Amino acid sequence: MNHPKKVRVALIGLGKLGILHTAVVNMIPDAELCALVDVNKQLSRYAEQAGLKAPFFTQTERMLAEIQPDAAVICTPAFANLSVAQPCLERGLDIFVEKPLAHTFEAAKTMVALAGRGNVVNATGYLMAHMTIYQKAKSLISEGVLGRLERVRASVYTSEVFAKKKGWLYDPDKAGGGAVISIASHLLYLLFWYFGQAREVFAQAKAIYSDVEDAATALLLFDGGLQGTMDVSWSLPNFRLPHTEIHVEGDNGTMEITGDYVKLYLFRGHKSYPKEWTTIYKIDLPSTGRFIIGAEGLYEEDQDFVSRCLDRGRPAVSWSDGLEVQRMIEAIYRSVAQKKVISTGDIV
Amino acid sequence: MTVALDKLILGANPFEGVSYQSRAQAVQYQEHFANEDNIAAVLNAALSAGVGAFTCSNTANVMRALKTFSKIDELRIYPVIPNAYEYAMEASEKGVLGAVLSKAKGFSMYQKVKLGLRALTKIKSVLTKDIMDLLLELLNFEMASFEKLNLGGVILHGQITDMALSSRNPDLIGVFQDVIRDTFDLEPILATHNFGTLLPQLMEWKIRIPIMAPFNSKGFMMKPSKDECEKLVRESGYPILAKKVLAGGRLTPEEAFPYLLDKNVASVVIGIGSAAEAYHTFAVAKNVLKV
Repeated sequence: MNHPKKVRVALIGLGKLGILHTAVVNMIPDAELCALVDVNKQLSRYAEQAGLKAPFFTQTERMLAEIQPDAAVICTPAFANLSVAQPCLERGLDIFVEKPLAHTFEAAKTMVALAGRGNVVNATGYLMAHMTIYQKAKSLISEGVLGRLERVRASVYTSEVFAKKKGWLYDPDKAGGGAVISIASHLLYLLFWYFGQAREVFAQAKAIYSDVEDAATALLLFDGGLQGTMDVSWSLPNFRLPHTEIHVEGDNGTMEITGDYVKLYLFRGHKSYPKEWTTIYKIDLPSTGRFIIGAEGLYEEDQDFVSRCLDRGRPAVSWSDGLEVQRMIEAIYRSVAQKKVISTGDIV
Repeated sequence: MTVALDKLILGANPFEGVSYQSRAQAVQYQEHFANEDNIAAVLNAALSAGVGAFTCSNTANVMRALKTFSKIDELRIYPVIPNAYEYAMEASEKGVLGAVLSKAKGFSMYQKVKLGLRALTKIKSVLTKDIMDLLLELLNFEMASFEKLNLGGVILHGQITDMALSSRNPDLIGVFQDVIRDTFDLEPILATHNFGTLLPQLMEWKIRIPIMAPFNSKGFMMKPSKDECEKLVRESGYPILAKKVLAGGRLTPEEAFPYLLDKNVASVVIGIGSAAEAYHTFAVAKNVLKV
């Protein structure tokens, strides 16, 4: 579809992330926030008084009929993503969907299939793809600084759940799971981005406080023989923010990747990276986005989506990428349920 | 009212377990400063180094330290309100509005009556807008934590400033300015991570209010760009409080402070992780900045 100079964006779902995306979209010169949608009518008054001038709707279909936006940013709870995305796709809108793509693999697959029928830009919110330190790690891995990759140990921990909590995030039918789909999905995206899809998965999970898993561990086998572990918990104290760590081992050394730095230890120098220690701090990397709110990378993520709406290119993280993450998540949940190794190739 | 701001202000990031360098350092801060005596030791060192200003949120360990600090009368506190981190955590379960309303339920009847009497007369015009009413109550609720302390100014949390900026809403900032100046007789200050976007907008809105924003030679967190921030701070004449001057610990004090010499900043806020670091950092700051 031909876009005017500015991409007219409808924001659907005004929860925590929806509000942050609203703020970001408002600051992107090439975007115009043209509609707000949330099932909670009470938010209409607050949105208007907070200075958001875009018209407010409680139904996506009605908004689509009245406003005719170019694109939608969908930040609804995961179980609603498919039903919200469907009418948007039918009208040919470009769509960004917050992660995970959906609450189930089946729903995510349907979304990708629907998107494939039209020439729509489709992006999903795996934010770390837009953070400079993880981009640096990606470039180091891609250029083969570690040589042949042997093992990877990955973890993400946060202090969020220490008692039974209310809300859709803790409802297995609505969230599709717990710490794995909500928290580890970001880490699984990074593993997919860095190493490709896992071939085999064996996992165990534990519900400590919730009806969904509060912690899980997975053994992963990637093509080429790379072996890995992934560990997640949202019930560990002293993690005021989610903390991600990835340790990669290759035949030329090791790499430690965190949100703050990438640390290399090389047996042999590689291009500009000397033998033994190199630490690259996020602080020392050039800044990219022109605005920041909520988290680093959020502006870059929405800017990427808006730019792709204009140039019809592929966004940094497409729905197809999101589906691969969902395949890994599904493999983990199937492995937990069936107590056996699951081949991701069997998840179709 | 324009009050002279303290030239050097101790920041609280390490006390709240924030590190931009590593998880290991963040954990060390969390463990060390869980004991309020260790916060008191840094406050003492700052006072001994001639720095009597301190900015913090109402985080539990910091408030415990302030409650028992023997030289509390010598400290001027710059509260950062609201405690956005706590709201964000609660919002995961209850949604943003739910988190705010849940907090609002905690207001005592006494507070509500007091707020009504103190604030209604000052800013009647905006009270018809109920989000402003809610904001007013939240500001007062947050300020109650600091009620008995000697205050130097009040800083609006960067997330709130930047939300108001993104929705281009001068009323939110106007209410904060009015409440802090008229009700508390203090200097309002806006924290931001988007200095280069905020300042031109404030000028357009004709709001003159001190701004606390990152300034460092690495350009760390200087948005939209280091050059644009530097140009604005030189030319605007707005009172600026520079923060993140050590670029999250990647600059030594000797490397960091000379950068600020020609930047026309009114104050410098520095988070400090130990008493020894306080003596050294403030000595260098005073020497270089001629404070």
